Parts: sequence; structure tokens; C-alpha cells
Amino acid sequence: MEQTTQDYEPPQKIFTCNLCGLATPFTYYGQKPPNTRAIVLLEECFVTRDPFNPDKEKFLVLGSNCSLCSNTVCVGADCSLFYTKRFCMPCVNKHLDQFPHQIQTELAKKKQSSKAAVP
Amino acid sequence: MDPDSRSRDPDSRSRDPDSRSWDWDRPQCRAQMDEIFFRQHDYIPAGSPEHADFWAFFERFQRFKMKKDVSGCGGSRKEERDEGKESRKSSAAKVDIGLPQEYDARYRINVSVCTRDVEERLGRSEQGGRRSSAGPGSQEVTDCRLALLHFLDFSQRQSFGKLAKLRREQKNLPIFQYRDRIVDLVRRHPVVVVAGDTGCGKSTQVPQYLLDAGFSHIACTQPRRIACISLAKRVTFESLNQYGSKVGYQIRFETTRTAATKLLFVTEGLLLRQIQQDGALAQYQVVIVDEVHERHLHCDFLLGVLRSLLLSRPALRLILMSATINIKLFSSYFNNAPVLQVPGRLFPIQVIYQPIPPEEQVSRSEKMDPRPYLRVLQGIDQRYPPEERGDLLIFLSGVAEISTIQEACQVYATHTRRWIVLPLHSTLSLAQQDKVFDIAPPSVRKCIISTNIAETSVTIDGVRFVVDSGKVKEMSFDPKAKMQRLQEFWISRASSEQRKGRAGRTGPGVCYRLYAESDYDAFAPYPVPEIHRVALDSLILQMKSMSLGDPLSFAFIDPPPADRIQTAVTYLKEQGALDRHSELTSIGSLLAQLPVDVVIGKMLVLGSLFNLVEPVLTVAAALSVQSPFLRSAQHNPDCTTARQPLHSSQGDPFTLLNTFNAWVEVKGERGGGSRKWCRRRGLEEQRLYEMVNLRKQFKDLLKSHSLLESEFSAPSGGHRSQRRERLTERRKLHQLKRDHEQQEGSRRKVLRLEEGQEGESSSGSDGEETGRGKKDKDGSGQNMDIQEVKFKLRHNVSELQEAASSSQDLSSRQHSLLKLLLCRGLYPQLALPDEHNSTRKDTEQVFHTKNKHGVVIHPTSVFASDPEVLHVPEDETGHTAPDRRDSSRHQLLAFVTLLETNKPYLSNCVRVPALQALLLVANSVDSNSDCTRLVVDGWLELELRDAEGALKVLSTALTLRTDWERLLLAQLGKGTTGGLGGPGVSRRDMEKLSEGLVRFLLYTEVSYSLRRLTAFQTQNLYIGPQPEQDPSQTQTANLNPLFPGVEAKPDPVKGGLRVTGFFTYNCLADSRDLYSECLRTFWTCPNCDLYMPLTPLERMQHEASCRPAAELQQEGEPENGKASSSSASSLTRVYHCDVCDEDLSLTSTEILKHKRQHMYSAK
Repeated sequence: MEQTTQDYEPPQKIFTCNLCGLATPFTYYGQKPPNTRAIVLLEECFVTRDPFNPDKEKFLVLGSNCSLCSNTVCVGADCSLFYTKRFCMPCVNKHLDQFPHQIQTELAKKKQSSKAAVP
Repeated sequence: MDPDSRSRDPDSRSRDPDSRSWDWDRPQCRAQMDEIFFRQHDYIPAGSPEHADFWAFFERFQRFKMKKDVSGCGGSRKEERDEGKESRKSSAAKVDIGLPQEYDARYRINVSVCTRDVEERLGRSEQGGRRSSAGPGSQEVTDCRLALLHFLDFSQRQSFGKLAKLRREQKNLPIFQYRDRIVDLVRRHPVVVVAGDTGCGKSTQVPQYLLDAGFSHIACTQPRRIACISLAKRVTFESLNQYGSKVGYQIRFETTRTAATKLLFVTEGLLLRQIQQDGALAQYQVVIVDEVHERHLHCDFLLGVLRSLLLSRPALRLILMSATINIKLFSSYFNNAPVLQVPGRLFPIQVIYQPIPPEEQVSRSEKMDPRPYLRVLQGIDQRYPPEERGDLLIFLSGVAEISTIQEACQVYATHTRRWIVLPLHSTLSLAQQDKVFDIAPPSVRKCIISTNIAETSVTIDGVRFVVDSGKVKEMSFDPKAKMQRLQEFWISRASSEQRKGRAGRTGPGVCYRLYAESDYDAFAPYPVPEIHRVALDSLILQMKSMSLGDPLSFAFIDPPPADRIQTAVTYLKEQGALDRHSELTSIGSLLAQLPVDVVIGKMLVLGSLFNLVEPVLTVAAALSVQSPFLRSAQHNPDCTTARQPLHSSQGDPFTLLNTFNAWVEVKGERGGGSRKWCRRRGLEEQRLYEMVNLRKQFKDLLKSHSLLESEFSAPSGGHRSQRRERLTERRKLHQLKRDHEQQEGSRRKVLRLEEGQEGESSSGSDGEETGRGKKDKDGSGQNMDIQEVKFKLRHNVSELQEAASSSQDLSSRQHSLLKLLLCRGLYPQLALPDEHNSTRKDTEQVFHTKNKHGVVIHPTSVFASDPEVLHVPEDETGHTAPDRRDSSRHQLLAFVTLLETNKPYLSNCVRVPALQALLLVANSVDSNSDCTRLVVDGWLELELRDAEGALKVLSTALTLRTDWERLLLAQLGKGTTGGLGGPGVSRRDMEKLSEGLVRFLLYTEVSYSLRRLTAFQTQNLYIGPQPEQDPSQTQTANLNPLFPGVEAKPDPVKGGLRVTGFFTYNCLADSRDLYSECLRTFWTCPNCDLYMPLTPLERMQHEASCRPAAELQQEGEPENGKASSSSASSLTRVYHCDVCDEDLSLTSTEILKHKRQHMYSAK
């Protein structure tokens, strides 16, 4: 019964965003999260169970790899963007001109508002 | 697919012949869509909460699309497209990242969903957009599909947003940077001290760091139950385990622990109980003791226990968490354990010293002067614009002070309309306490006037200003007067800083100290730890039951003074919990397991012997929780009237018993309607819920010790349909509880400006619902009281009702027996009414305890409003001497607490007949030679008029006590041998004893005087040891049939003859007659035919052994064979007669006769 110090649980697999550092355990990587029936993801994703939903079978996509530089990033708007594929923010900025106008203005707006919020 | 074609003008619907019958709002149309997208096996099945969310989202989505179309984005589309092309050209040199040419919001969604439309399309490759007459067209399907994708994306964003926010907040906590250090230290050291100030995040984060690092079986202790619950809730959420049981809590009556629980928040007391049961504490790998700096009694003790436990379990990890107060003490106590100090997160706080000018200072008897406090309110109004938010928190020492200042502030608030004044202390109803968390309307500030409860226990956000009176009322124990004392003290510097810190939690703040800086410097550095202030009885008892050896040599972090421990040991001996050698008695080991005061535990054990378990359980539970009677309602005439029928002139425990029974009655009839019932009577229902829970715990404990038969009445009886009904009801209740837990919190109300002005109780006008079941119909559980839900889940109401009604219709005999049990439980907590009380005003009634003279009855007690019931009736045969009043109706009060605030108050009192109660429960009864003068416990003197009666009373009492003791031991023996060993207590023995006790209590008509001895009298009380003993007397001394095996010996201190453990005969220095002990008078025994001259002692001895003939015959009956043989042998003993030189087996009476024979023949 007595535990020894070595008796640790195997650590969970952790997803870590290489940009913002968000780290949280994930349970699945791929395009077809388990127990989600008809759901297909359009990219290979790090997935966990949605902790904010009482239904055990609801999933939550945490992040994926950038389609250009393969950097692991979270789906947060500050770190990546999905537009037919996943792009990390540095890659988006690098190729900003190739993105549609709507996205460009949106990003510009966001940049401004976040700047305004800082001071 | 052209995205434009999807978002059609809504008007086009009417033009399209296909969709003429299509209306998104029609349930039928939605149902058709449900069959495509929300089938039972789909990700979102119809009927689920998400399904409802989807349709709500759908409506918003459609509206949004419409607005976008109307605003005519179409015009700009072309431009964009051109622009896009152009830009793409210019960047042609770079890598083409392969994006589609047209913008479509759909491309931003990374999810695809395979629903029926897709399946059909894939299956029958081209089915076309045709549909049956009213079915959805391809356009509608496409619309719905698009909405679904956006909905999925939206839900993902929402959840991820929450997660990201959570992680961001965790990262921003000061302790986050120390995460790896902490884990590393814990891995390498058995004990680690983490010190950090408020807001550093240690309580929520450290357990998570350890969990994440792979530790499991973690216990984290908290001084308060409420903290266990709220921390468990928070950590559950943060560790993303909201819907699992990885993190749980366990407090006295509630647990969320399951086999999957890895982190458990427990109270300090509960962990100690777990150690009591499992000495190695093998169920945990890590123990975190939080808030060690608060130095609660349990915490100090727990640290000592853990310290010795570490020796036997070196792998156990121990983490102490503390504010940055006196850290060295903890570290050095654990062999210089490493300390990790984490800075707190406090905003700067400006300290302003505003000592109270002498003319405004309070003298002892006066009310507080509110002016210093009002000046602060005014100052804030002048200096800070109302739109700058920030509330005020005032720290005062006690409830009386709070109401004085509250009154004055309210006048100011009503005038300025800029403040809402709210009191905060633990005797307020929970609903009222909860108000301090509500939000003030714009331009209005809350002014919260609190005791030190807001210093650590209750954290209120949004406080910007703090006023610190510098005072605190603390409970201390006076071992000399055996009295609790609530006294006002200056606070310590540590408390002062803690109070100040409350102003800087959410932004920069200001702290007004109503004392001088020099005062501050003179404060003690830390508060006095609880272990130095309180009575240690329960602690010592627990230590004994944990076999921790001599309490005096236990290595406490800060040992209490030795005399305090000694006081506790003496007290426990008096109570019978420890024997002469300070070892646990069987009753003591049982008491150690009851989480209540020793006196209350005793009541339970005593109650289990007689047929009075139900009322005793209720009384014991009621006396262990705070009074349900709200003080504030005392001045409300409606409440007083409504309470009247609950009052009992027998005493407060009976009032509580009535109240509980009536409440159970109401619960059975009206369920949730009890809330209103309580409000009308000024009762805090929470306390009644606590009682019913505690009562159940007591009952279970008694059962597990075989002191109570577990009833086999199957509560699940009845028809199958009834059972099923009950099952569905339970399921419904569980659902309600879950729902409640889910929506709990973050529903703060906005306060109204009038909030503080209202009277404290809003009872009276609203009539009670009398129609039963009304609530169930229209409420359908929606606003069902969560306490009611928990109550129903935990208790069988009909069973409770039965118990209640059985204890409601107690006969007067049962009543007097119950009083005796309470009295024996509470002994030696007895008080004597002052002899002049009948000539005093009701409010000036005075009482005396053994150690404290001149105490008064607490105004909440029944006897405060009705003191006459304690007076000796006037018509009794009068005064034999001017200072002596004889009566057979003297009474004493047995009380639960003696607490000194501004006066020493007795609370929870019950009245008992003095002579009978004393003879049956007192530890020491001393008599003179003819037993007309008795001194009890060295302080109460009873003088009986009639020697004949005196002897009779005394010998009846002795016999009853012997029987009682014997049955009690048998009952306890039953418990220790697991219910199999001893014969236990036969029903008939028990009934005979209770009959005897009742008869003694009710029908003893002996006139006597009762008074307290003066100090001088106590000094010269005993004759002391006599050098020369009459040989014939030493002979009789050996005849001790009362306690066979125990010899009656001359008492070495008092002199006289120690007849039983509590009775010493003829040891009183009684000048009146020196020879009456040898004086024989003729006496006829009512049971046998004996008629001869006997000394008082001889007569008592005969009475103790001589049973009525009928009784002896009964005992001889076969069903009782065993008992009779033992009782017969207890009556006869081997007597060696020196004259005959022969061993004779005789009863004591026979021995007497035998000896007499020689005496006469010698003459």
C-alpha cells in the first residue's frame, strides 16, 4: 500500500504551443478524434476532451503544426490562423500579401486594438 | 461552389416556388433538419443542450448573414478580388502558399462533418436537389450545414478561449515561476515550506504542480470547511477536471471523493481522524498542510503528529504552506526544512494612522463612539470621486461594536445615498453573510463592517479602503474558573498587516489605522496560537486514543503550558474518560471517536442505555452546533410569538428538541416550505440541517460501536411501484443537485441602495403556504432549495418523523429521565441559584458554579425570561433558621457553556432536582455520621431535616448508582467486544433501573436546605485521618456489598470511611454529635423480616444487598440464569468468623446477624 517516491504516474502527453507557451495535456493527435462520430478534422490536430462540457464525447482542438514551417502552435488567434490550412502567425505575417483582403484588415485591426490595450 | 449563391436574399424565398412552404421557425421544418444533421448517433444529437444551442445560434447566424447582405458587401467584392489578384502578382517571386482565390469564411473552419446529406451524396452519387413536397431543398440543407460548421467552430473557439484564459491567469500568478523549483524540492526533501502572501496562488497551484508532476494521493488540509469546498471547485476547474473526480473534497458530512480521486482537500480535523484510524496514513503519498501560520489547535497538533509519522514513513512528502509569517519556526521544527518564499501580489497600499482622540475613546461600559469611523466615510466621499469604484471594509472586534457603528453609518448612508452598509459576522444568517459579495450600483460603495472573519476566512474582492480598529475579541480559557472568556485584545502586527492587505487585492488601496504608529510597534508580532488559549480536553483525549504517550512530553511546535495539560487530564478523569492512571477508560475511547465535546459524547453513551436514544441524539446534535435562534429576531415581536410554542420551561436543550421536532414535522409535510417556517420564527435553517446531519453521524457512530441496534426495518419496503417511484425521485434529486452545482457561483446580484436600511429579518407579513405539495407543482424544482435536495438525498424523512414524534410525546417520567441523562453528561457543569434570587428582579438573577461565583443566565436562555421556575416555592415549610430554607424542591442548573463576555454567562441550561441529581451524578459525596449533612464535591452543602429520610434517600441513591454503573459497563463492554461477547444489558434490567431512577427523581419528598460552602467552611470540612480506628468498625468496613471486591477503607485525606468511589461516610467535621455513627436504632427492613438495631452505615449496607423477595425470585427464572447466578454471588461473600473460626458464605445482612449473635452471647 505504501507508496515510494518513485511511484509516479506516467506523465500525461502535453501539448505545448511554441509561441505562447500554453501547455495542457492532449489525448489524441490526428484528424479523426475518437468518439466523435461524423467529425473529420481538415488538419492533423492535438485534441483533448472538452473540459468545459459535461458531455464526455465533446472534443476540443488545442493546436496543430503550421503547414509551412511545421511549428507546433495553438489555435488561439494570437498564435495561428486557419485558412484552408494552419499557419502560424510568423508565417502569416511573412506571407500576409497572399491572404485575402478580409483577413489582412482583420489582422491589422487586431494589432491596433492590442496595441491600444497595452498601455 | 460559389459562396455568393448561398447567402440569398431572404425575399427570394417567396419567389422560389420550392421553398414556399419552408419556414425556419416552424418546428416541423426544424425537425426535418434534425433528421439530417442531428440524428441520435451524430456528434450533436437532437435533444441535447448543444442542439438547443445550435438553433439559437442558427437564428443569430441568419440575422447576421442578412445584415451583411443588406449592407451590400457585394459591391466591394469585386474590388477585393481585383486587389487580391494584384497583390498575388506582386508576390509571385515568393513561394505560393496555395490559397484559394475567392475569400470564403468557410475556409477558416478546420472541421468537416459527415451528416446524412453527405452520406446520401456519397452513397447515391447524384440524387439532385429534388425533395419530396415539403422537405427541405438543397439550398436549405446547405444553409443549415454551413450554420452547423460555424456553430462547431464557434463552440471550439469558446472552449479554447476559456482554456487559454485559464492558462494565462495561472501563468500570471507569482508562484508560477517557482513551479519547477517546488516540484524539485518536494522530490528531494521530505518536508518543504512554501511561504507566500495573499494572492500568490499557492493554495490553488501547488497541489496542481504536484499532480502534473505525477504525484498522486495528495491530501491538502484547510482550517475551514468552506475553503475545502471552494478550493476543490477551483482546482477541479483549473485542472480541467470539472466533470471528473480527480480532485475532490471531504469534510464532516460531505465528500466528493471517489476511487479516482488523486487530490483531496480535507479539513485539519478530518485528516486527524483519518490518522486516528490509519496510523501510517498509508492512503496518501503527499500531505499539504495549508495556512499553517494561522496556528489553529488542530493544525499545531497535526504538525506534531505528522512529524512523528515521518519517522516511520520516510517516503511521505509533507508540504507546509504559510503566509510569510514566522517561517523559521516551521522550518526548524522540521529539521530545517527548505523554505521557498514567493512574493505576493499586492498593489501598493497607503497606510494612514488616525489614532482615536481621547474624548472619543470608549470607556468599558459605554457604547463605542462612531465619530472616528464616520470621519473616514466622509473623507472618502470628499477625496475620491464616486465613479472611482472601491469598497470599504471596517474591522471591529465584535457583534455589539458592529451594530453600533452600523447604525451610525446607516444614518450617514441614508443621507448621502452613496453607501450601502452591510454587517459581516458569523452569527448572521448565511443569506445575509452572502450579501457582502454582491455588487453595489454605480457611484455607490459598499461599507462592510466585519469581525476578523474578513481577515482570512472571507475574501471580498473590490475592497479599496480598510479601516482597522486594531481590536479583536478572542476566546480564551480560564482554567481556574473553568470558564471560556471572550475578551478584547489589541491585534498582532501580523493581523494588522493582513487586514491592511485586504485593501490591495484588486488595485492600489488605503488603510486607515485607528491607532498610533507607536501602538502598532508595541503590538505582539504574531497572534497567540490557539493551543495556548483554549481548553485542551478534546485534544488530550484524542492524543490518548492515538496512543501518543504522555501529552506532557509530546513534541508540539509550541507546547502549551504543562498546567493546562494537567487541567485537561484532571477534567477528563472527572468525566470518567480517563482512569486513575490517566489511561483511557472504555467510555473514554468511545468519546475520543465522537467529534464533539466530552460532555455531549457522554450524553450519547448514556442515552444509548435507555430507551431515549432518539431525543438524546437530537439534543446532542443541537448542543454541538450554533444556536438556530437568530439573535436579531429576538426583538421582533412576531418571531417571539411564533417561537413561543417551541419553548420549554425545562431548559434550553428541550426548546431545541421541540424546535427540531417541529421542523422535521414541517419538512415531512411541506418539504421546501420549511424555509418560510424558519424565517417566521427567526430560525437559521442551515443550523437545523447541520443538526440533522450531525444526528445521523452520531447514530451511525453508536451503531458502529454496537451501542445501538441497527434497525432492520427495510426502508425500501412497500410495493414495487412505490420503490420505483422512490428511485426516480432520488434520481431527480441527484440531477437537481448536479444542476445546482453547475450553475453555482458567478451570479452576483446588484445591491439596492436601501439594502442596509431594511430590518434584519423580513419575516412576518408573508403567510406560510399551508397547501401541501403546492411547491412541487408550480415550482417543478426549478427554484427548489438546494439544502432541501441534499436533505432529501441524505435522510429518510418518514423515519426522522417517527423519531421526532416519539421524542415529542415524552411522558413526564421520560422527561425527568432525559434531564438526568443530560445532567450526568454535563456534570460537573452545575450552577446553584443564589438563595436571594426570589427577591431580585428577573434581570438580576445570580448563580454560582463551583469555581465561579456570580454568573448570570444568557439572555437567550429560557430561564432568563422565566426565572421563577427555578425559585423554591414559597409555601414550603418555612425557615428553621433565618439563613436556612428547607424545601424538597431545590433545583440546580446543568449548563453547556460558561462564557464570559461583558459578564459571565451560562448558556444552554437545564434544571434538575438538586438532591436527587447530585446523589446520582456527583463524583464526591461526603456525609456526617447520621447522614443528615451532605457535602457534594466540596462546595455544596445539603442538610436534611430528618435522619430517617436522609438514610433512605442516600441508600436508594447508592443502590441506583451501583446498578446504573453495572449496566453502563455491560453496555460499553458490549461495544468493545464487538457485540458478541458480554451478555449486554437485558431489557428488563434497563427498565427496572429507569423505573427506579424515575421514582427517585419524582417522588423523593425529603426536605432539605441547599447552600454553597463558604471558603472558611471548606477549609475545615473534614475530620481528617483518624489515628485510632474502632476495631468493630474496621470489621464492618470489610463488608462492602455495594462494590464487591472494593474494600471500604478509611479515607486517607478526609477521614471517615470511603464506602464507594464517590461516597465517604462520616468524614465531615460535624461537631453536633460525635457518637451517632455507633448509635444503633431499631429498624425494620421492608424487604426481609429483619428487625434489629443498626448503625446508619450498617443499615445502608443491608439495603444495598437486600432485594425485595419478588425480585429475587424473578431473577431466578431460567431465561436469566446467568445474571442471577452472578447477582446471587455478588450478594453472598465468604466471611471468616474469628469466633467460630470458620469460613461462611453469607450475605452481608447474614454476616451482621451472625456477628450480632456473638456480641450478644459475649455479653
